[in-house]
Amino acid sequence: MVDYQFLIEVLIGGLLSGVMYSLVAIGFVLIYKTSGVLNFAQGAMLLFAALTFVSLVERGAPFAAALVATLVIMVGLGITIERTVLRPLVNQPPITLFMATLGLSYVIEAAAQLLWGTQVHGLDIGISDTPFELAGVLISRFDLFAAAVAGALVTVFALFFRYTRTGLSFRAVADDQFAALAVGLRLPRVWAAVWTVAGIVALVGGLLWGARLGVQFSLSLVVLKALPVLVLGGFDSIAGAIVGGLLIGAIEKLAEVYVGPFFGGGIEAWAAYVVALALLLIRPSGLYGQKPVERV
Amino acid sequence: MAALASTQSRRVSAETLGIGIAIVAAYGVVPLAGSDYLLDAVLTPFLALALAAVGLNVLTGYAGQVSLGSAAFLAVGAYAAYNLHLRIPGLPLLVDLVLAGSIAAAVGIVFGLPSLRLRGFYLAVSTLAAQFFVQWALTKFGWFSNDNASGVIDAPPLSIAGVSFTNPVERYVFSLTVVVVLSLVTLRLLRSQSGRNFVAVRDHEIAAKVIGVPILRTKLLAFGISSFLIGVAGVLWAFAYLRTVEPAGFNLDRSFQILFIIIIGGLASLRGSFVGAAFIVVFPLLLSRVGAALLGSVFDSGVLEMSQRILIGVLIIAFLIAEPRGLIALWDRTWARTWAAVWPAKHPTIPT
Amino acid sequence: MLRLEEAPPDGPAHGQTRERGDANMRHGGHVPQPLARPVLGLANISLTFGGVAALRDVDLDVAQGEIRAVIGPNGAGKSSLLNVVSGQYRADRGEVRFGEHAFDEVPTSKLTAHGVARTFQNLALFKGLSVFDNVLMGLAHRVRIGFLRQIVGSPLARQIEAENRAAATEVIGFLHLDQVQDRIAGTLPYGVQKRVELARALVARPKLLLLDEPFAGVTLSEKQELSLHVRNARDSFGATIVLIEHDIGLVMGLSDRVAVLNYGRKIADGTPEEIRTDPAVIDAYLGVAHEDDTELAA
Repeated sequence: MVDYQFLIEVLIGGLLSGVMYSLVAIGFVLIYKTSGVLNFAQGAMLLFAALTFVSLVERGAPFAAALVATLVIMVGLGITIERTVLRPLVNQPPITLFMATLGLSYVIEAAAQLLWGTQVHGLDIGISDTPFELAGVLISRFDLFAAAVAGALVTVFALFFRYTRTGLSFRAVADDQFAALAVGLRLPRVWAAVWTVAGIVALVGGLLWGARLGVQFSLSLVVLKALPVLVLGGFDSIAGAIVGGLLIGAIEKLAEVYVGPFFGGGIEAWAAYVVALALLLIRPSGLYGQKPVERV
Repeated sequence: MAALASTQSRRVSAETLGIGIAIVAAYGVVPLAGSDYLLDAVLTPFLALALAAVGLNVLTGYAGQVSLGSAAFLAVGAYAAYNLHLRIPGLPLLVDLVLAGSIAAAVGIVFGLPSLRLRGFYLAVSTLAAQFFVQWALTKFGWFSNDNASGVIDAPPLSIAGVSFTNPVERYVFSLTVVVVLSLVTLRLLRSQSGRNFVAVRDHEIAAKVIGVPILRTKLLAFGISSFLIGVAGVLWAFAYLRTVEPAGFNLDRSFQILFIIIIGGLASLRGSFVGAAFIVVFPLLLSRVGAALLGSVFDSGVLEMSQRILIGVLIIAFLIAEPRGLIALWDRTWARTWAAVWPAKHPTIPT
Repeated sequence: MLRLEEAPPDGPAHGQTRERGDANMRHGGHVPQPLARPVLGLANISLTFGGVAALRDVDLDVAQGEIRAVIGPNGAGKSSLLNVVSGQYRADRGEVRFGEHAFDEVPTSKLTAHGVARTFQNLALFKGLSVFDNVLMGLAHRVRIGFLRQIVGSPLARQIEAENRAAATEVIGFLHLDQVQDRIAGTLPYGVQKRVELARALVARPKLLLLDEPFAGVTLSEKQELSLHVRNARDSFGATIVLIEHDIGLVMGLSDRVAVLNYGRKIADGTPEEIRTDPAVIDAYLGVAHEDDTELAA
């Protein structure tokens, strides 16, 4: 006997938390598409953003001022990373770049905690987490808000990519770096811009996740939640990141509730990976990823 | 022809000499000169990490398959050896060691199966599945730790044919012997056709396939050998070094640590695995000494840990930018330069 | 040891140890007739990439001991054809025959078993291995013993290793690579790497050798040297050779028969002399309208 109302509740809860995964995954996709780097430091950037914001607020800065200041810092961080890490490594194999971002994640994580301390900070962004009832199903107000923010962010990006000059050059670079170079796009500038955008995504993700979990070291571990999302959706597809996030969110919650008890719980640590792997064996480039044509 | 053959054999004998000196030094000098602290806190963990790095280097450096799940295989080795010892009374230690390595190899081959279809990042991420699954299973199922509430296991006393290895010197000698034997065997393997196949699959998989290299078997062999070595390293880590371990000790940070060792030491270099491991073990100790000496009480352990992480991260990036082939390439270049100064006609040797 | 080095770069290279191949086959007037069982036969090969036709109904036969060139402008489908033959691509239609074995899809891993070797357009060396080890890799398929026996060095393992090393040494001498045999392949000049790749393909003594743009990107003098080596590969190693090229001049002097591809179709096939005067070929290379090139080819 299945309790459908409960099932739907679990499903909606899963989908909404999936939106939060998508939000982290989008940051990865942006950078991967334009520079071919799987940026493992995305989680660390998220932690850095949230920690900076919280610490500024705790030191008495008004919400808006703290937000702007954090934004400026994240932009600075993005540009610094581009200058000091990526530019010297240009033309290196992707795996080298990945390892560099692994090193980068150590630096950013530790720097954030060295600067602002290691204690857990509460983050209140003014949204209560009390659930409301819709057609007999309990829905979290906070989750809904997070989903709305993520949706707005994705819409803004979509418009940005379609209608602005910088956005178009992003797409050009993503499609063909050499062609983009040939028509005179300045790659470093595009990369700096894309790291800036990734910084903004990290800030939004950091605030939402921080409000949910508290701002602390473990925040950078959401990167590990985003990886199966990327594998599922394909590293180079924003649509994949969104759909993958929703799927992973839903699967994780459903598995935890319906399958977990058979294993004694705690399976959400790897359930997402197993699902993503199973899919990969059928579609090696994920749901939406481009299958590279191997030229020899 | 004759001239060529003689340079080759000269190089081989120089290499043999180098290995011989290193082994003699490791056995003879260190146990006499070393304090218990040096052996227990520096040399024994160095050996275990070096062996793990040799294992990862076979997979990532030589065969080109990036793995982020090394710690899982350390854990499999450690827990397998513990359970075999516990459940099969009178099992000789060496058999236990080989069986534990074999179990790790089997698990490694299972998690290596995706490599047949996945490459690059997709594969790297899929190896994380091993990391999380193994850690979860060891914590979740009490059977693995003989029903210890938090999954902690205590190492049994080490003894082979009545000779026991209990004090720091003995445990060091035990570890050293295991590491030396396995490293030499690995070197043999890498110099054989299987070893050449690893590099061929890494450098150009399609060309390798056209030539008739069995891709599937080569990749799985790399996963198997790599996991075997890492599994045995896990036994050393648990039995000879820490003596008490829990699953949390084999976390993602440990996996990254081993990856960092081979990046800093040198990808596709066995010597690099040792140099990198030495660096990773000694560097934090040095940093804390220096930190304590310079700043005294201001430098609390939290600050120390954070600055260590920052420095490690910076070093990784610096190495990737300045010398992607690692410390061993620096060493070789310095050596060749010194050599050229002494003996100008000599060509620089090619690193192995 | 085979010694052919003395032959002048553009002169005929008659090897003393020539194993098979008739002397008359290589010289102008006589065109080798397609055999009942050509070494390589392609029938009606068609291949599309996302709706774009790369190959359309291509037939090709390659007789024992000939040097067969496939030429055509960029994008004509030459490389696709070679990739179908070596199994990297699967043709939508058509059949590939090696001797008496026919395939819809060539199993790449079994190429060596059928005596087929190939080189690649953009060099596919194992950059991290020495030149010697690269050449040795060409015999990887012969080492059919487990890794434990390789480590221990069983008598069989040692025997195979010794045989392979001898074969590699011979080919390395043949292609004048002795001086660099201990160098890491990735550190050598491009032209030398091309020779290493040829050595790796030749070491297994293939019946059929596929060369994908062997002369692309090398200097003029290297081209002449390489073309000598290609001819020697046939004369001394008895390999039947199919080569893809867009440098027509070089191909004309080297090949026995030439097939021309344009827009995925074979528009001409014959001796170098016939090709040189074929109006469809001239049109294709000079860029005249192509609407009716099928008729011209017929």
